[in-house]
Formats: sequence, structure tokens, C-alpha cells
Amino acid sequence: MQTNVKQKRSSSINLSKMRKAFSFKPLALGVATVFLSACSGGKEEALVFKTADECADALPDMAQQCQTAYEGALAEAAKTAPKYNTKNDCEYEFGANQCQTYNNNGSSIFMPLMAGYMIGNLLAPRPYYQPMFTSYSRYSPYRNHWIGADGRDFGDTRKRTLNVRPSAFDKKPAVTRTMQRGGFGSSVRAKASWGSKSSKGWGG
Amino acid sequence: MLRLPIEARKNWQQMARDYGFHFHTMHGQPYWDETAYYQFNLQQIERDLEAPTEEIHQMCLHVVDLVSKSEERLSQFAIPSDYWQAIADSWQAKEPSLYSRLDFVYDGKTPAKLLENNADTPTSLYESGFWQWLWLENNVDNNKLSKRADQFNSLQEKLVNRLKVIADYYGINYLHFACCKDTDEDRGTVQYLQDCAKEAGLDDYFCYIEDIGLGVGGELTDLQDQVISHCFKLYPWEFMQREEFGPHALKANTAWVEPIWKTILSNKALLPMLWKEFEGHPNLLPAFFETDIASMNALSGIKKWVKKPLYSREGANIDILENGKMSLSSDGPYGEEGFIYQAHTPLPKFADNYTLIGSWLVDDEAAGISVREDKSPITQDLSRYMPHIIL
Repeated sequence: MQTNVKQKRSSSINLSKMRKAFSFKPLALGVATVFLSACSGGKEEALVFKTADECADALPDMAQQCQTAYEGALAEAAKTAPKYNTKNDCEYEFGANQCQTYNNNGSSIFMPLMAGYMIGNLLAPRPYYQPMFTSYSRYSPYRNHWIGADGRDFGDTRKRTLNVRPSAFDKKPAVTRTMQRGGFGSSVRAKASWGSKSSKGWGG
Repeated sequence: MLRLPIEARKNWQQMARDYGFHFHTMHGQPYWDETAYYQFNLQQIERDLEAPTEEIHQMCLHVVDLVSKSEERLSQFAIPSDYWQAIADSWQAKEPSLYSRLDFVYDGKTPAKLLENNADTPTSLYESGFWQWLWLENNVDNNKLSKRADQFNSLQEKLVNRLKVIADYYGINYLHFACCKDTDEDRGTVQYLQDCAKEAGLDDYFCYIEDIGLGVGGELTDLQDQVISHCFKLYPWEFMQREEFGPHALKANTAWVEPIWKTILSNKALLPMLWKEFEGHPNLLPAFFETDIASMNALSGIKKWVKKPLYSREGANIDILENGKMSLSSDGPYGEEGFIYQAHTPLPKFADNYTLIGSWLVDDEAAGISVREDKSPITQDLSRYMPHIIL
């Protein structure tokens, strides 16, 4: 009677979560700013806008905060956006004409244009914000997705209300002072010097 | 069990890049090979591999119980005495394990024979749990393989669930991950487990083994000076136990995945212990300690023995003895802790390749297989990974 034989493999894998950040490894990768306070255990709502005007249209009472957050996000983007040596690498990831020059101590490197910004904790006196990027490149797994400066994928760009987990503030490891490093790894140095297989791992 | 040719997916290298599979080619040689695949039937999978895998795991736990309580056995396993108490405590506390891989000789017809248990630092996890799964999905979608084709591979599902259980056990919502520098393969394996941890709702932090620090209060720290309170390490316990920070791995009160009781299983001394406890089991090969050559020679009918170091990985330092004479050997940096002897059984040959089956466990549940091929009868680190299906 039973025709539905039990499958022996994982029933489904979320492929978009298995994709890895940026095809070309950026020179530098931003650390996403903490944009939401940890006031509840659950997820919080954040909104994404492409421009300050778009924000002000949606939230007329908050036009001033929209503008402040937009300018803040732009400044943040300059600091944290992924940076590339060549325009080609940048455009491969983000699409044609989606990259701008960034002057880094006299030499030019390339970074994507800010595509929008996320704004959260709206009712607080100082809402949190962070720049958002997207890709128009057909080579990129991020095509038409909102992404943070650190490569975090926030999903389809048609989505404007995101459920975000509040910052990892309350659950980060404790911090201490480190006195010494390098007390692990000597066996590997000893055994690696035996052969030429240095790129091989120590698993089995 | 058949080896069948198939056309490689046209875009697989682009996909490998998108998904971050960076070690499909190693030492200039293909490691991931999808120009052929292995086909098993359901009975071969369930009766010959899945059931023995779970049974052998229980037998292995029996050995852990015996050895963890015996100073004589612990020294026979060449485990430094400073760690005996920690091993016994960790075992008594039933500290949760994540995963293992049993390596089998299996030809599709006769009972699978256990070659060894990679219980502490098994690799080829990503290509098993995710990459070969994707290969099957793509080929079924493109009508290159039957819609009825399945795969023995619930690894990713089980890993995610098991990480949730481990997080509950320790009451944590984050976990550190560590492996050695300069190895794409190990980093890829650990990245995969970080992905599984994220899926399980955990925050993940990474630190290279060589970068681990010692904090003022005796804690282990990462490069951001954060305390490593719970850590998955793709680094063998037998190395850690012989290194400067080894004692701190215990004193720091860090909870480790795999737990320290796995030291007993990732050791080739397990093999003669299994034979001693379960002599004649259809999935075991006769195996003896160096000190027990008499019993070995008393076994008539076995002309060929494999001499394996207690600690070694990926076929290093393996000698094959024929009628007391060495016939084939592999070089390597292992062996100073002693050797064991295991009856030789040839790997089956499929189209000029020697084939080895890795059978995965997540905790105590069989979770899938991986198939590796080598041109040499001793599977080493240049072997190729082949996908498989069940039909």
C-alpha cells in the first residue's frame, strides 16, 4: 500500500543560503554596523529605501530622520562597501556601471554604488541605519537581492520590509586580554615539513 | 553496485565558484570527478552499509567505555596520561559528538569491512553533504538521471538538527570554529559546518588553530580577544594533547566538538580492540596489537597484513606485509607512537580504479556515504571524489 518510499537524502536545502559571498574576494570587507537595539528576543522590522525622498514619502513625519540616516548610510558605505582592485572585478559582481572609484591614499580602487539603505528602530530618537547594495550582474548570486556591506543576503529587492534579528549584542562571547598566542599548531608545522603536501588538510 | 559514465554538468565550475567549493582541484589534479558515478540498489545501501554503520558505531562506543576506564588500555592507545581523567569525565558526562566517518571496503556483494573510523576530524563533508546532493538534483532536473534516483545522503539535514541539540545541551547561541591555516580543504569543511550552524540558528565565529590565544584568566581566545567557550575544531586531539596549549584546552573549561572522549575512536588501536571484543563479526577484519604477533601468526589463511601507525591520516605510513615481507608501502610522518596490524583485504576495482566507501554518522545515526577512487590500492590524499545514486 505504501508507495511513498522514504527518501534517503536531505529533503531540501536552501540553495540561496549555500551561496557564498562575492565571486571575487573583495580587498576589504565591511563589518555591518549594528542597526537594531536588542530590546526583544524576537525579530524586528526594518525598512529599506532607495533614496531619502522615497523614505520621506513613506514616512512623512520622519523626513528629517530619513535625510540624516541617508547621509549617514552614504558615509558608512564609503567606509564599509566591498572594495576591488579593478573595475572589472567590481562590475563582474555588481553589474555594468554599478561601480564607482574610491580614492584610497592616492590610488584608485573600486566599490559598488549604494543601492539603498536600511533603517530600523524608527521610533527611537536616533534610528539605526546601514547601507545596502545590490547586483545587476547575471554572474552574481546576489542579482536583485539586497546585500549588506559584509555580503549578508537580505533577499529580493522587491521586498522593502525586512525582518531582522536584533544585534548579536546580548549573545556575543565575553572579551578578555590575551597574553600569548601560537600554543596550538606545532604538530602541523612538524609534519608538514616532512612532505610537499602543505595544501592538504589535517582531517582524514 | 555499478560505475557508470555520465556527462559532467556544463556549468559546474561556475557553480563551484558561486557556492564557494574551492578545492575541487588539488595539486593540479581533479579531486571532484563527475565524469562517472556509482549506482547502488536500496538493499546494498540499507542492509550492507547503513545498518552495519550504526551497529559498528555502538560497538565502538562499547570500546570507549572499556578503554576510558582502564589505565592499561589508555597507555596502549598511546594517550598521554595527563588527559586520561578528562577523557573519562567527558565520556561519563556523555558530552555530545557531532559526526564521524567509517571507511569501508565494499564491493556490492560481500559484507562491507571496516578499515578505520575517522571519528575526530573527518573531511570530505561538504562534497558529501551538499555538493553531491546538488549534482543529483541538477542531473535529475536536466533528465540526465532517472526521476526515481535517490542518494544515501541526509548529512546536511542531520548536521543542522544535531547542532541544535548540541546548542541546547550547552545552552549556547553561538559557537567558535577552528582549523589550520593554509588548507582550502579544511577551511571549506569548517565553513560548511558554520553554514549548518547558521541554519541551526547559531552565531558562528572563526579562528585559525595557530591564532588561538591564552587569556589572562586562563581562557582560550580568538583574534578579537573573545573567549572561546565552545569550539568545533577540525584539528586532531592527538596533536592538541602534545602541544603547548594542550593543558589549557582542559583548564580553560572550553567545551569541544568533537569531545575529548573521541580520542579513543580516532586511534587505530580501536581496530584490535574491536576484534578482541567482537571477534568474527562479519564487518570487521582481524586486527592485532604489535605486542600480539603470536595471535596474528596463529590465524591461518591470512597471508597479507597491513601495518598501520596508531595515529595517521589519509593512508600515510601504511605498509603491506606479505608472508612477513613488506610489499608496498606509503611514506609519511607518522608512526612514532606504535603500530597495529590489520588483515589485508583488497579494495574492489571498478574500471581500473580502487574504490573506497566512506560511511557517515551524525551522532549515532547513519547519514550517507561518499565514494572515493584511487589509482593506487592505498587510498591517499590524491584520490578522487565520485558522486553516487540509489536506483
